[in-house]
Amino acid sequence: MLLRASSDAVGAEVDLSAAVEEAADGGVEDGAVLTAFAEAVVRATDELDAARVRALKTLGPAKFVEAAATIGIFNGLVRVADSTGIPSDAMMLERTADVRGKLGFDSWSGAKRRGWR
Amino acid sequence: MSFEDARFPVPVREDLTTALRRSWADIGRPGTWWTGPERVAMAALARAERIQRNEPPWNRNRGEPGTPLPGKAVEAARKIGADPTHLDRDWAEAAIAELGDARYVELASVVVTTVAADAFCEAMGIKHETLPEPEAGEPTRERPDGMGDIGAWVPAQVVDWSRANVARALSLVPEGVRTFFRMVVAMYSGAATDFEKMVWDHRPLARPQVELLAARVSALNQCFY
Repeated sequence: MLLRASSDAVGAEVDLSAAVEEAADGGVEDGAVLTAFAEAVVRATDELDAARVRALKTLGPAKFVEAAATIGIFNGLVRVADSTGIPSDAMMLERTADVRGKLGFDSWSGAKRRGWR
Repeated sequence: MSFEDARFPVPVREDLTTALRRSWADIGRPGTWWTGPERVAMAALARAERIQRNEPPWNRNRGEPGTPLPGKAVEAARKIGADPTHLDRDWAEAAIAELGDARYVELASVVVTTVAADAFCEAMGIKHETLPEPEAGEPTRERPDGMGDIGAWVPAQVVDWSRANVARALSLVPEGVRTFFRMVVAMYSGAATDFEKMVWDHRPLARPQVELLAARVSALNQCFY
């Protein structure tokens, strides 16, 4: 999982549960602002305007654009994976074996499609 | 011109807007298996359905179809666009049996390109981009060599492949790969050499910040990939 690998690379300890918990920072700088922004876009919540303002104010314009771009493209990437049923990569499965069950990944619809359960 | 700089509330990198403009224009062009009007119709259906994503499918306002697409393509554009957590092998196999594998993959490529651009606009706080004008012309109907079974629902490139599976998921329609992954490079990964690095200096956000966003969006869509 690239969140863990990229955090390891800078000597930071990341809490992977931030991927599945609401507005959690996971030990990543401005993580709670980022995850709240992502949630508001994906879920199209009433919080979107406030989350966007908070993200822009906290991150500044350049980082805000990167956050918006990442949220945008991953809404496409998940659909690439889910519409084609591609198998997960072996290395990814190996690196996440210790956390998939704990964080509930194995119960997701995407896991069912790939025969993990 | 689409994605005009003046529409954004803050400056956006030129390579990002260039990628968006080129991929957006691609949607309106004749594809490999579908015409320009058919491709724009897919984008319109996916957008209209996704806008209503918080409503259950049976409660959504779909109006009159008025589309050049066959029924299964209409269903696929809506489902991939708005309900990715409900996609499964049985449904996909039925859709592929009716549409053909390459036509299904091209449809998916149009929908994911539309969704990514729309979600970016929502994050930026601007209106969705006007859909491109469909261009006249016939699809090329070219099926690439080197496709095989990698355990996916559709054939994918099996020759000379060492990268992540998601990057070859649409390889049955190379034009669809170019259209969508041009945006992936500009909006996420950068060049291949950048992507391999765990510490990024080609983006303003640190890589753990980008990957946290990626992980959260994936989790919200119940997609482990």
